[in-house]
Amino acid sequence: MSSFEPKIITFLCNWCSYGAADLAGVSRFQYPPHMRVIRVPCSGRISPKMVLAALRKGADGVWISGCHPGDCHYIEGNYYARRKFTLLKEILEFNGIEPGRLHFSWISSAEGVKFAEVANRVIDEVKQLGPARVFIKKSPEESAA
Amino acid sequence: MTHQKTMGSVLIAGGGIGGIQAALDLANSGYYVYLVEKSPSIGGVMAQLDKTFPTNDCSMCIMSPKLVEVGRHLNIELLTLSEIQGVTGEKGDFEVEVFQKARYVDMDKCIACGACTEKCPKKVEDTYNQGLVKRKAIYALYPQAVPLKYCIDADHCLMLTKGKCGICAKTCPAGAINYDDTDKTLSLHVGAIILAPGFKAYDPSGKEIYNYDRSPDVVTSLEFERLLSASGPNQGHLMRISDHGKLKKIAWLQCVGSRDINTCSNGHCSSVCCMYAIKQAIIAKEHDPSLDCTIFYMDMRTHGKGFESCYNEAREKHGIRFVRCRVHSVFGQPGETVGQVIDYVDETTGRVTREIFDIVVLSVGMEISEEVKSLAENLEVALTPGGFARTNSFNPVATSREGIYVCGALQGPKDIPQSVIEAGSAALSAGASLASARGTLTQTLTAPEETDITGERPRVGVFVCYCGINIGSVIDVPAVRDFASGLPFVEYVGDNLYSCSQDTQDAITQVIREKKLNRIVVAACSPRTHDPLFQETLMNAGLNKYLFEMVNIRNHNSWVHKDHPAEATIKAQEMVRMAVAKVALFTPLVEAELSIDQNALVVGGGLSGMAAAKALSCQGYHVSIVEKEETLGGQANHLYMTAKGESIQDGLKTMVTEVTSDPNIDLFLGAELSGVDGFVGNFQSTITQGDKRSSTTHGVTVIATGAGEYRPDEYLYGQDPRVLTGLELDKKFIDDDPSLKKAGCAVFIQCVGSREPGRPYCSRVCCTHTMVSALHLKEKNPKMQIFVLYRDIRTYGEREALYKEAREKGVLFIRYSTEDKPVVTNSGDRLTVTVTDHVLQRPLSIQADLLTLATAVVPYRDAKLAQFFKVPINDEGFFAEAHVKLAPSDFAVSGVFLCGLAHYPKPVDEAIAQAQAAASSATRLLSGKTINTSGNVAEVNPALCSGCGVCEAVCPYNAPSLVTEGKEAGKARINPVICKGCGACVASCRSGALQLKGFEEGQLMAMIDNF
Amino acid sequence: MNRYTETIQTLAAKLLETGDVKTVLGFKRGTFPLTTEPFLATTPADTGELYWDVNCRLNLATYLKKEMGKVAVVAKGCDTRNILVHITENRIKREDVVIIGVPCTGMIEVKKATEMAGGDILYATEQGEEMILTTAGEEIRVPKAQLLRQNCALCAHPNPVIYDMLVADPVPVQTGMDRYADIREIDAKTSDAKWAFFDEAFSACTRCYACRNACPLCYCPTCFVDESRPQWVGKGTDPVDVRTYHMLRAIHCAGRCTECGACESACPMDVPVRLLTRKMEKTVGDRWGLEAGLTLDARPAQDIFCLDDPEEFIL
Repeated sequence: MSSFEPKIITFLCNWCSYGAADLAGVSRFQYPPHMRVIRVPCSGRISPKMVLAALRKGADGVWISGCHPGDCHYIEGNYYARRKFTLLKEILEFNGIEPGRLHFSWISSAEGVKFAEVANRVIDEVKQLGPARVFIKKSPEESAA
Repeated sequence: MTHQKTMGSVLIAGGGIGGIQAALDLANSGYYVYLVEKSPSIGGVMAQLDKTFPTNDCSMCIMSPKLVEVGRHLNIELLTLSEIQGVTGEKGDFEVEVFQKARYVDMDKCIACGACTEKCPKKVEDTYNQGLVKRKAIYALYPQAVPLKYCIDADHCLMLTKGKCGICAKTCPAGAINYDDTDKTLSLHVGAIILAPGFKAYDPSGKEIYNYDRSPDVVTSLEFERLLSASGPNQGHLMRISDHGKLKKIAWLQCVGSRDINTCSNGHCSSVCCMYAIKQAIIAKEHDPSLDCTIFYMDMRTHGKGFESCYNEAREKHGIRFVRCRVHSVFGQPGETVGQVIDYVDETTGRVTREIFDIVVLSVGMEISEEVKSLAENLEVALTPGGFARTNSFNPVATSREGIYVCGALQGPKDIPQSVIEAGSAALSAGASLASARGTLTQTLTAPEETDITGERPRVGVFVCYCGINIGSVIDVPAVRDFASGLPFVEYVGDNLYSCSQDTQDAITQVIREKKLNRIVVAACSPRTHDPLFQETLMNAGLNKYLFEMVNIRNHNSWVHKDHPAEATIKAQEMVRMAVAKVALFTPLVEAELSIDQNALVVGGGLSGMAAAKALSCQGYHVSIVEKEETLGGQANHLYMTAKGESIQDGLKTMVTEVTSDPNIDLFLGAELSGVDGFVGNFQSTITQGDKRSSTTHGVTVIATGAGEYRPDEYLYGQDPRVLTGLELDKKFIDDDPSLKKAGCAVFIQCVGSREPGRPYCSRVCCTHTMVSALHLKEKNPKMQIFVLYRDIRTYGEREALYKEAREKGVLFIRYSTEDKPVVTNSGDRLTVTVTDHVLQRPLSIQADLLTLATAVVPYRDAKLAQFFKVPINDEGFFAEAHVKLAPSDFAVSGVFLCGLAHYPKPVDEAIAQAQAAASSATRLLSGKTINTSGNVAEVNPALCSGCGVCEAVCPYNAPSLVTEGKEAGKARINPVICKGCGACVASCRSGALQLKGFEEGQLMAMIDNF
Repeated sequence: MNRYTETIQTLAAKLLETGDVKTVLGFKRGTFPLTTEPFLATTPADTGELYWDVNCRLNLATYLKKEMGKVAVVAKGCDTRNILVHITENRIKREDVVIIGVPCTGMIEVKKATEMAGGDILYATEQGEEMILTTAGEEIRVPKAQLLRQNCALCAHPNPVIYDMLVADPVPVQTGMDRYADIREIDAKTSDAKWAFFDEAFSACTRCYACRNACPLCYCPTCFVDESRPQWVGKGTDPVDVRTYHMLRAIHCAGRCTECGACESACPMDVPVRLLTRKMEKTVGDRWGLEAGLTLDARPAQDIFCLDDPEEFIL
């Protein structure tokens, strides 16, 4: 299991959490190289189908991070996001996707430390689960085999 | 007569939030700005704050977009490490001498990699972190600093002080270090000057009573702010400072260096400390709910919008203890024992009580530094005895010297929103005096014509940056470059030592042209800081700037994976693959251009409305005022005197005359708005005056509808003619009613209708108003006995002097609680007011001839107006601004602005300042004549739209609407001018009918497919 | 003829005669036993075809279209809630629809009835609390409660929540039933067991989209499964694609679904699609205290928020 190098699709809102990741860099806080960041303007931009797509594509984990409630650059995008994530998390877990594969956080652009801490925590939890096994869409060649 | 020259430029001294806001307002309204800041970077105190009250927003998060905008603004010249030395000339044409200290780092070359700091051997006290930790002699002020350029502290640098070391010069990969740099003196010609130097926090050192010098566990509130901050010395982990032990109890001592003429000579109230103490206590509790947080105070001054409910929540929800007692002193315990001893008088028992706290936070006040005071003297700007700039309530940001304006703490102690309001007001005033020179010194960006790439197959160019050794030392840059060359659509790959350097920019421009590249990926640092730079490069190469994607292989990769070079390289390759997949799907985006109707509409003809109209007229715009009454003036018609002793009737008369005779202002009296169509830049409103209807088009709207006075149903109001409201007493003052002199005893009851269930906010103006009235009564009849029955006295800022004067003149103050309100009965000749004296704990019976009720300011809750302009009203009934801190006079809806009592209760000077700030925001829009939207906006595909309206429901800006007629009736449409590009509508659309350009579904899916 | 049918016919005839509406959308007897079909009556004479019994499983809100002009519709409690969602989502204007509300005693499940009868049912009649099922060989009496669809057995809103006329007095509303016992049972499983459970449960799905077509909420001009740019979910019966379809459909219906059961009743393969929509319904209720289709004053759950929505799962 030690050789398992998970890949975690990470959606970061531009204004807070992406800034926090930048700050973590400036501060040289270290975390393992398993994140693949997709920058979006706001956590409210993330639709459930993107998360489903990431899992279908074989991501071992998905992490979504936005601004703290009240901090949203677009006033209230993260509040709608919070409702979407609630439903998404429930339906995915109900279907047998392990809870440890899906993570949400609010990280402000001043929280470089928190970014690194959450990154490490997300990676640890995904690593413990091992590679994603279910809900991966095989390519036609793979399914034929 | 000699021709008076008018310069279209303004110098702003001070790069805190006030200076920043003023700079942006002016630079975006056609004036060239010199922003002079004495430290190496802008940001001021706000950049040091962890959170901001009352919403506990992250300070840096809300501020950094403004920092970046200033840093990149074509018409703002940042002069850091600089100070004004002298000013000659006059309004319209000043010559300012600015002294600029040497930075010893070439700003053009420094790439802010931080290698120098890492290697610098000399440690220095870190002022940004309040000296709680050390930084190096070469440093950047803070990680998000603007400009993000390093700087050598000449007082401590070994090379500069002792002539030996030179490590940073050897380490710097960009060759930016210049030990031979020298101080300079610049001479600048500007039309106006704005002073925004901010405050100095009171320094408690040397005052034995606080034990501050002796114990590290006694900290100032600014130090505590850094301790709370995730970017602070302990990464936000709270602990006892002396021994890093666990915290159980924290005490805040209010009014340290404020309302104190014994320990120091600061008679004023600093206005912000009560709220920041509450904020800090709440945040501390959020860190650790088991913490015991106690605030020792004299009066809780939570007089701003949302403050009182924050105070209530602190008490009721967070369990923060509030003890009314001015603590005399703090002392340590014998030997090694930790803990700070506080003795205080417990009001409930009347006994001296001793408690031990782990940390004591001194809520230090604001004062004006000696340097600023001498600058003011040098500039011939008059100060009050307290050291703040002397201003007039009707012209709240103009100093005694014509052409020099002031905003922020120098004008008087205040919080961020009030500073931002004044910044707008100062920008407006400075700009108005230079309106004839608007646009004469500003530059506009000119780019070559855009190449049409329609129909072309993607030809992607990928540039991978070494960033010196920042990326190159961890990631195998050539491997990433070569990997990229094999990706679909990639036509060119290259690597650069510094992608951001000017020569590389030129080289990229060249390559784009030569290889006919039509999509560009740069793998380097953060798009948050560098997107605009590379977009400019694309424009210079004739490419649409949206055909660009940045890959952050530095902050998100080499810097955070330095021990995993192989994995980091693979990650970088995959990141580039994702970006290439995305960029291939990009199309050129068009920024919609919309012309702005050059007229303004002001709703409300009170003081604020008139001030806003006048301000806009001074800027050269035509204004229509719609006022529901037959006369102008609103509540000011009933007001007697300002806190500064100015006659409100005189001031009002002048304003009314100016407004009435202004050819640029159309008045609609006895009128109301009966319909509004359109949006920013193009509103069409219908005004109804009796039977007459007229319509007007306007580009902007200012809402200044004011508020009313609460009509009480207690204390015999309405039943006994001797019981008056504050405004009714003013009416008697205005009429010089002779009966007032005869009163032997007058009583004021405060907080009537305010700070109660159902109307939980503080009405802000009543305490000061009562002081002014009581003093005026004393003037009329010095023998008159006057009692003020209050809950907390909230004479914030320099208004505190009135409270002091009232006490000195014998006005008696008796505190009551809401559980035990005063009782008023009619005892025939006189009124009997019974109240429990808070000191004696006994009922006191006062025989009064006059009872004045300091009644609440009550919002009109104008739902119709809110509906017309699609602007929100808060729970209390006031209009809700776009952002409580940084956009207090704007609405989230573009083109609509807010000022005066409709926003929140406020006195004359603040109302006028806000009116000018609203006008300044409006001017920003109007002066552009057109607005260019961002290309990253949402768009509807009508064929897919089901018309369900979810987009309309979730958009906070009202950008989507359903088409009402024509072929696409029932389908959604996004107004690109209003859309801010957040994408909430896109994510909510089930039908896939919406796209956010630049972040389209297909583009994000392409990234997912290629991770 | 039952009393409900009679009243529906009378009300419909009157509406058409007076010209209050152009069309009445109701049910008529189906070709096969235990079935009904949607029916559009446009003249008073047509109204004789209108019919009501325990087989009106369809949700006629599905057939409401703006282009119909003023229309009357026959609607059960759950259907009226759905119409209400349609009004909030601009599908139809309140003033354009006359709702003939039916206080509902529940619809039966054909599969249960067939199993109970032990053979093909020739015809079935309702008599009080009982159903009389006639097969080729015999006639059996079964308590109707035993034949109800699950959503009807657990129904909390049998009476129309919005209507212009009622065909009968409101029926008693049951309380105290445990609506989500089966959902909790699945919740309690391990992740692997959950995955396996649904793998089996959804294995029969042929992607015929009968569920989507029966659902009044699935009115998108192009469903996400049919999107081609990007085409991110396959169109075949690959289990991951099947699961993606059902999960996302459940998310799309969350906060809007009124548990009319039309989807599951329409499924020819007995796929328990409602397990997912009910999981979402439970979440919406547990987390935000909301139920779909009870008020015209607020948009559905995903279109609104509260500042203090629970967020213990967010780091």
